[in-house]
Amino acid sequence: MGQQILNAIFIGSIYALFAVGYTLVFGVLDILNLAHSAVFMLAAAVTYTLVVNHGQSFWLACALGIVVAALMGLVIEYVCLRPLRRRQAPPIAALISTIGLALIIVAAIEQGRPGTLFAWLWVDGANPVTMPPSTFPNPTWHVAGLTLEGSKLAIIPISIALMLLLGYVMRFTQVGRGLRAVAENPRAARLMGIDVDRMISLTLIISSALGGLAGILFGVALGDISPYIGRDSVEVRGLAVIVLGGMGSIPGAVLGGYLLGLIEVLAVVLLGSNVRAGVAFAALFLMLVLRPQGLFGAQLREKV
Amino acid sequence: MRRVSLVFVLVAAVIAGACGSAGGGGTTTGNSYSGKTIKLGAVLSITGAGGVYGPQSRDGMMLAVTEINKSGGVNGAQIALTVKDDASDKAQSAQVAQTMIQGDQDMALLGPTLSNSAVAVHPLAESLKTPILAVSTTGINIVPNCNFPNATPCRYVFRDSLGEQTAIPDNIQSYAADAHPTTGVLLVAQDDKFSSDGGKIVQDTVAANSINLLKTIKFNKAEPDLSPYVTQAVQLHPDVIFITSLGGIPAKIMTEARKQGWQGQFLGGNGFNTATVSKNAGAAGLGARSGSAWYLGNSFPSNADFVTSFKAAYGHDPDQFAAQGYAGIKIIADAAKRANLTFTDLAGDRDKLRSAMESVNIQTPLGPFQFTSQHDVKQTVWIIKMDGQGGFTLVHEIKPS
Repeated sequence: MGQQILNAIFIGSIYALFAVGYTLVFGVLDILNLAHSAVFMLAAAVTYTLVVNHGQSFWLACALGIVVAALMGLVIEYVCLRPLRRRQAPPIAALISTIGLALIIVAAIEQGRPGTLFAWLWVDGANPVTMPPSTFPNPTWHVAGLTLEGSKLAIIPISIALMLLLGYVMRFTQVGRGLRAVAENPRAARLMGIDVDRMISLTLIISSALGGLAGILFGVALGDISPYIGRDSVEVRGLAVIVLGGMGSIPGAVLGGYLLGLIEVLAVVLLGSNVRAGVAFAALFLMLVLRPQGLFGAQLREKV
Repeated sequence: MRRVSLVFVLVAAVIAGACGSAGGGGTTTGNSYSGKTIKLGAVLSITGAGGVYGPQSRDGMMLAVTEINKSGGVNGAQIALTVKDDASDKAQSAQVAQTMIQGDQDMALLGPTLSNSAVAVHPLAESLKTPILAVSTTGINIVPNCNFPNATPCRYVFRDSLGEQTAIPDNIQSYAADAHPTTGVLLVAQDDKFSSDGGKIVQDTVAANSINLLKTIKFNKAEPDLSPYVTQAVQLHPDVIFITSLGGIPAKIMTEARKQGWQGQFLGGNGFNTATVSKNAGAAGLGARSGSAWYLGNSFPSNADFVTSFKAAYGHDPDQFAAQGYAGIKIIADAAKRANLTFTDLAGDRDKLRSAMESVNIQTPLGPFQFTSQHDVKQTVWIIKMDGQGGFTLVHEIKPS
């Protein structure tokens, strides 16, 4: 059971980190950024390519992977969101435009094979690849019947530290106050002299950098990097986590991430392996019925 | 932060296939093949879960087409092969196949890559009386009963890929004879036909080989983390872990199980038989055994020549899927050579090609090749094990009974 709890904490940390980025954009913009999962995947793919195909050091590759993810945040803002916001398009339009961008990113990666246009970015097509064990430090300890793996253990403090930092920034800094002001009322924020567009760009950058980091940690620790890791593994679960935690709530996303990890693993242990996804989403359904605002969400209210 | 009420949006994308009408096979100038074109279509998974296998099949096929056309074609007729991606999606696979049969007017089809898609594509080809040769599908009820549960044998469906119903039992039996394991755990992906069929075959085979199956652990392919399942399996301390799944999953399971300190034997199916899996598993995969339709190191000429020209063309070793794709084109070319095609009557030509395929008897990289009366492959099973470095070594050779 101990090993299973550890398994839950590892995957829960990834879910949390991914969902924090998701919920941040939703909190500020009221928009679901469905390209978030593609950024998650892209950062992992870039990191892998830099290490394996371009011979860069692991740490530099990770840093560049996060930078690429952050830049993708800007692309999302300038290509998918800002033009629609200018025309006051409804949120559904942004939902569709971010889905479109996600499809393009995934398609670009899966077309990457030797000799093709995207070969500098990715050469393994649809194949899943594993970061070669010799390229990054990954000590493994066996303590009291538990297997503790360095790359997975590292996820926990990294995730928690970043989420605490984000919480601090949002609550106590000028930038955080600006972001919250935009979230509360963009027009009033603008009248108070806040550069709303800049704040939104910043939100996308932070959100995408966190999503990218989650992708790198996922790809390295679980030995699974492919064009589909975002779409298949975390996209729907990320949505589940932010609903569970309360849409737009950062502490909610963190708690929701760990909770979903725990529910999934307990489902495997207690109820049998073939019901994992079913149990997790049954829990989600129950949450929607019993507490629609999520764990940390405020009461829903109709706006008139 | 501001809240809004939740809006649930359901986006359903419906892709409707449109069938154009292309011209047929040319003008009537008697029976001569010279100057004519034999149009073939291959439905392969270039992207998606089957993207590990489809590109290999495609490369093998393209190599065979180039070789045949360079050496004068089929009695003077050139082969024109079109490969289309089904994105590992059953519905898209059927749509692509229909376009190839009715729109492109291809004489015969190859594929699809996944058994899961074959259940949609094969009955379609059968109903449209177009020969189709499966080159990588290994599930149950592919041939001859493509319309399962309807037991009527399908006349137009063939396969050159070794079925799991032969490969998995041969593999388990040979390992049981070598090492006498007594306990096993099965890890099976439950959400695709190939994997769940493989699981059923393992369950049906273990008892006869005196292996007690302690537990069957089912999971879904898209699970982000397989650790909880592997932990469950490892904690039962089995002698053998059976894995029936595809894509990168077998490698993930092997890596995780070795990290958790398990030392036993991995046995699997066709999902092991590609270099990607062996490479991703690395040292964790060392010794993992499976029954394969093909072995890289076989030195008989039809394989040695294939391996040499494949490496020259693509710069890397072929795998089993490339060999089966290559063999598929050679099989159809051999049948076409003997079929007395008219190139004016497409339906008649498809029928002639179908009959000629039944009597194929040629040398391929897979070994001497013939179809059984049920249109299945009759060939040697090569028991191979991963070498821990991305390749395989031969353990046993099991001749067809």
